[in-house]
Amino acid sequence: MIGVGKIKQYSNVLDKPLNKGKQEVSLSAFAFLFSELVQYNQTQVDNIAELERRLEDAGYAVGARVLELLCHRERGNRRETRLLGILSFVHSTVWKILFGKVADSLEKGTEHEDEYMISEKELLVNRFISIPKDMGTFNCGAFVAGIVRGVLDGSGFPAVVTAHFVPMEGQQRPRTTILIKFAEEVLRREARLGG
Amino acid sequence: MIVCVAIVGHQNNPLYIQSFTEGDDALKLHHVVHCSLDVVDERVNNPKKSGPMLNETYLGLLYPTENYKVYGYLTNTKVKFILVTTDLDVKDADVRNFFRKFHAAYVDAVSNPFHVPGKKITSKTFAERISTIVKAFGLSSAG
Repeated sequence: MIGVGKIKQYSNVLDKPLNKGKQEVSLSAFAFLFSELVQYNQTQVDNIAELERRLEDAGYAVGARVLELLCHRERGNRRETRLLGILSFVHSTVWKILFGKVADSLEKGTEHEDEYMISEKELLVNRFISIPKDMGTFNCGAFVAGIVRGVLDGSGFPAVVTAHFVPMEGQQRPRTTILIKFAEEVLRREARLGG
Repeated sequence: MIVCVAIVGHQNNPLYIQSFTEGDDALKLHHVVHCSLDVVDERVNNPKKSGPMLNETYLGLLYPTENYKVYGYLTNTKVKFILVTTDLDVKDADVRNFFRKFHAAYVDAVSNPFHVPGKKITSKTFAERISTIVKAFGLSSAG
């Protein structure tokens, strides 16, 4: 997904360009790799919750590194200290780097103050996956949820991030929603900064 | 002449310390780096109430000691880069340039899937790149 550190034959390390984006990986290569990742984890665990947790941990490692990379590539990037700032950063910049487009929508949850949702009609990772009935509510988007959690955690916004299917009328495949629930201290800090 | 570079994690744990002179006591340099962390924290936690200054990555000259100058740089993940130099006339643009290359090397080192975030950086490639960058800095500012 990201091609940093492609060492070409440069005589001097200082001549190496600080890589810009636009490095593309084939979709099928990624799909194979991801399916292998899921299958490998499936043989290691006994239940669904554990599988989801493992995928999320894998995503967390990716998220932490993506954050470092993006902060370096974006010249003049300011450190995000506000909630809306970091959310729009995840929603546009991170999604653009990972999936080539911005996320479909970003919404604020109505029931709780600390919940936000990023929705996508068709998550890239779920495109070639169909969940068997006996897996219940398992969603491979847990990997993407882990990535978001890694990015938020690294920026200082601890949160619990999960992925859910939301059935939509008029579409046969349900929409995927990433639900972000921020920790207490984030809300307190936000109130302190904003108020 | 750069005498020391250091990378400190977001919980003020050291991730990488490298000194480039044999004469000076390495412990004294560690101590200087440690004191500079306090200055960084002070700058971060007391917002000067001016928006653009608060979120800048490059922190500039942290404090001058008797024969060293200490520069700081803060990334988005609260990882701090500390640079200790004995040059008296080093230009701001040079230091910014140095930190940019340093950040690039750091991002590459962290992208290593075998690197555990929070542990020390043990990659030899990283150490080599850092020494190259340091040498280049010495040459450019001497001229």
